[in-house]
Amino acid sequence: MDEFQEILQDFLVESFELVEKLDEDLVELENTPEDLELLNGIFRVAHTVKGASSFLNFDVLTHLTHHMEDVLNKARHGDLIITSDIMDVILESVDLMKALLTVIRDTSADAGIDVTACVARLDKVSGGDGDVPTPEVQVAPVVEETPVVEEDSAKEEEVASATDEPDYDNMSDDDVEAEIQRLLAERQEQDKAKRKAKIDAGEKVAAPPPTPEEVVQTPTPEPEPTPSAPVAPPPPPPPAAPVPASGGDEAPKAAAPAKKAPAVEQTIRVDVKRLDHLMNLIGELVLAKNRLIKINDDVEERYEGEEFLEELNQVVSIVSLVTTDLQIAVMKTRMLPIGKVFNKFPRMIRDLTRELNKKIELEISGEETELDKSIVEEIGDPLVHIIRNSCDHGIEQPDARVALGKEETGTISLKAYNEGNQIVIQIDDDGKGLDTTMLKKKSIEKGIITEKEAEQMGDKEAFGLIFRPGFSTAAQVTNVSGRGVGMDVVKTNIEKLNGIIDIDSEIDKGTSMKLKIPLTLAIIQALLVGVQEETYAIPLASVLETVRISTDEVYTVEGKSVMRLRDEVLSLVHISDIFEVDRIIDGGEHAYVVVLGLGAQKLGLIVDTLVGQEEIVIKSLGEYLKGIEGVAGATIRGDGGVTLIVDVVALMDMARKVKTSVVQSAANAVAQITLEKTKASDYTIMIVDDSKTDRTIMRKALEALGVTLVEAVDGQEALNTLKSSDHNFDAMLIDIEMPRMDGYTLAGEIKKYNRYKNLPLIAVTSRTGKSDRMRGVESGMVEYITKPYSADYLSSVVQRNINFKSEFLS
Amino acid sequence: MSDKLKDIINKQGEQQNPDLIDLDNVVQLVGFIIGDEEYAIPILAIQEIIKPFSWTRVPQVPSYVKGVFNMRGSVIPLIDLRLKFGLPEQKHNDETRFIVMKVGDEVAGFVIDRLTMALRIKKENIGPAPDTINSDDSLIDGVGKEEDRIITILKADKLLKRDF
Repeated sequence: MDEFQEILQDFLVESFELVEKLDEDLVELENTPEDLELLNGIFRVAHTVKGASSFLNFDVLTHLTHHMEDVLNKARHGDLIITSDIMDVILESVDLMKALLTVIRDTSADAGIDVTACVARLDKVSGGDGDVPTPEVQVAPVVEETPVVEEDSAKEEEVASATDEPDYDNMSDDDVEAEIQRLLAERQEQDKAKRKAKIDAGEKVAAPPPTPEEVVQTPTPEPEPTPSAPVAPPPPPPPAAPVPASGGDEAPKAAAPAKKAPAVEQTIRVDVKRLDHLMNLIGELVLAKNRLIKINDDVEERYEGEEFLEELNQVVSIVSLVTTDLQIAVMKTRMLPIGKVFNKFPRMIRDLTRELNKKIELEISGEETELDKSIVEEIGDPLVHIIRNSCDHGIEQPDARVALGKEETGTISLKAYNEGNQIVIQIDDDGKGLDTTMLKKKSIEKGIITEKEAEQMGDKEAFGLIFRPGFSTAAQVTNVSGRGVGMDVVKTNIEKLNGIIDIDSEIDKGTSMKLKIPLTLAIIQALLVGVQEETYAIPLASVLETVRISTDEVYTVEGKSVMRLRDEVLSLVHISDIFEVDRIIDGGEHAYVVVLGLGAQKLGLIVDTLVGQEEIVIKSLGEYLKGIEGVAGATIRGDGGVTLIVDVVALMDMARKVKTSVVQSAANAVAQITLEKTKASDYTIMIVDDSKTDRTIMRKALEALGVTLVEAVDGQEALNTLKSSDHNFDAMLIDIEMPRMDGYTLAGEIKKYNRYKNLPLIAVTSRTGKSDRMRGVESGMVEYITKPYSADYLSSVVQRNINFKSEFLS
Repeated sequence: MSDKLKDIINKQGEQQNPDLIDLDNVVQLVGFIIGDEEYAIPILAIQEIIKPFSWTRVPQVPSYVKGVFNMRGSVIPLIDLRLKFGLPEQKHNDETRFIVMKVGDEVAGFVIDRLTMALRIKKENIGPAPDTINSDDSLIDGVGKEEDRIITILKADKLLKRDF
């Protein structure tokens, strides 16, 4: 029976899709009842579901859709004008249909839902007069209550009688006759389809392929359905009268494509877990690629001009190209238009307006904006809460609106758009707005805040009160809202997506809520910047440009640093003020400004160096470190190190609070640590030489002084020892020829640090050339001792340079 | 030959059995030193123990959070237990290790001065934490006695809990 399951799955996927579309179309239909095209479309949906469900022996569903179809068919032929009351009935039946489909999905059978009442009302509507059917009227005959399969022919009669019974009063005999004929014809078509399908039992009935984005959970195998499809009853006699309704024509049309199982499947359904796994793998691949590129650069430097380099280059660039393409491709498989979520709102608004007796119009734009699947799934509930809230608390009753001189119909607009590396979903209403005084009063009453807190609150903070747990402003608890849950859930949900909510409101003008959600697509382009010894990654989407400035281009206005960028004034902040970086290296005369843009906001971020552009994989800092202001996450670089990713949104906020002027002299910032020397061993001298013999000679020469000696075998080690600063060194003796890092480079590196500006560096070398001495001086050496030297000479040079107190000489 | 094998297997079985029975009453721990004290962590909470390597500083955190480091593709916080326990910072040396602990989804690396050994302490030799320490908020799970030593057993889940 696997085949049946397969068909069933296809049927469900198709039906759910159709029903989703149906809601939207129906609401639109209510506004434009004359739209025949739309009506035809809706009719076809009901019809398709009916056809398929009868084929699968879901009789309750068939029964229901059949009656819906009747109503719609009437409307299609202009026999019935769709009023909102009729629409209520139709929508109710759509809801029932959804419920039935859910039941079918869960149990593979459609029992358990009573459709009688709804069917009765549908019948009443299709009775032709379009009168308001009151929900309580139970016109439905008892026969209707048998959802279980009976003999087909018997059912036909039932159906027919059910359709007819309430209509007798309003229908002429001819009409009744025609209706019966039409139904019979239709039934016949279906039976034909059924038989045909049974003959082609090998073929599966393929539903139209789901849209490529559609990703469906794997089906849950359920007990087999009753295999008792009865032998087709003898076909009813062909209708004598010409078939009046075109309903009969529709049937084969719908059935035909269902029978032709297309040989080529355009889409396949994939478990989301597989996509997630794929995404993780791509992340790893991108990291490996970055590493490969870095290694390639190193190799290039070392073996310049070698032939194999070109080949290596080619491979590396192909790998990197393919990786990028692959990543984009996988990312795209996960993207869904936000319209998927927006679709359900027209219906919701419609229901709410009737429930609340308000007039509200919903405007939707930007539904094509694409979001990662995981976000699309999470964003639905918060939006429902917000829109309900706008309807209930925001938009006033029509008479109140008129009294205020507003349009009677309130407007809620739902917008989605990209802003930088965020998606913004904006919900605006033109209702009564948020009253901060009232909000505060309520919050105090409910003990959410104290009076003192309320006094200190700004408008924005007061708006934020609606997100506090236990807060509800509705004076009267309605069905829609007012139970004090909801808005705090909204906030939690949005924060779970790392998003933020921004509220703006003006009394009697309306409220505007912006949900800013980061595209947590795991891989982004970033600009890497250096400050002191640290590196940070800035999402490239927020970077407008970079400029190199000299420090005297920076002006101070009211304690804030600014610069002139073409014809505008740009406020500046130094990245080290944001991230508490110690300024130990002197930045020099020049600095780079990264101009960040976020919506209309602009900010110049001063950094020491621009490292480059790189594709980075966003990793979370984990539960332990989450919520650090200004840090959006971390990434792993090609060299295996971790680099923090700047959260530009937060940075903009933080920049406002930073008071310190950017161009504070770095030299002042670092105090010179000079401790009083009380004994000879307080002096510490580092000996840097790769030769053990040379180190020993120097050690012997200086040991007599009683100073502390530390040794390093090359420049790199010396630098590390110096920086880790167990000691405060008073002088360094440096050999020039050393592996890894030579003496000149070491001296240059050391002199970059403010705190070592005054550290005497003494070159001890066998290089005697004049140019060597020159280089020594250039790199910051104060003395130049050539080998061989006498121990006394070395000792005296050192003593001079460290201001060795003569009283320590024994 | 096969008899011999059987003998050996039987002997091994006999040797292992008492251990197996005991396992229920024994807590397996990894001991380490911070400052002058010996501490221990249940072995099951430990993901791995690694030699120190470079990490990246993170702003706006207490000084005992050194930053984050890369452990085979995961970004993991690094916490210095010396600083956390109010001891002065010490330079990392040859004996310094990072203990990576994992409880549930929480993972973090902890800097310790040096490892001692893997311990098996009988449950009856583990006493409760001193009364003076509030047991809910305390990092201390109990105090284990092993021969002449006293070992403070820490709660891994509490260590992994953010407290700032």
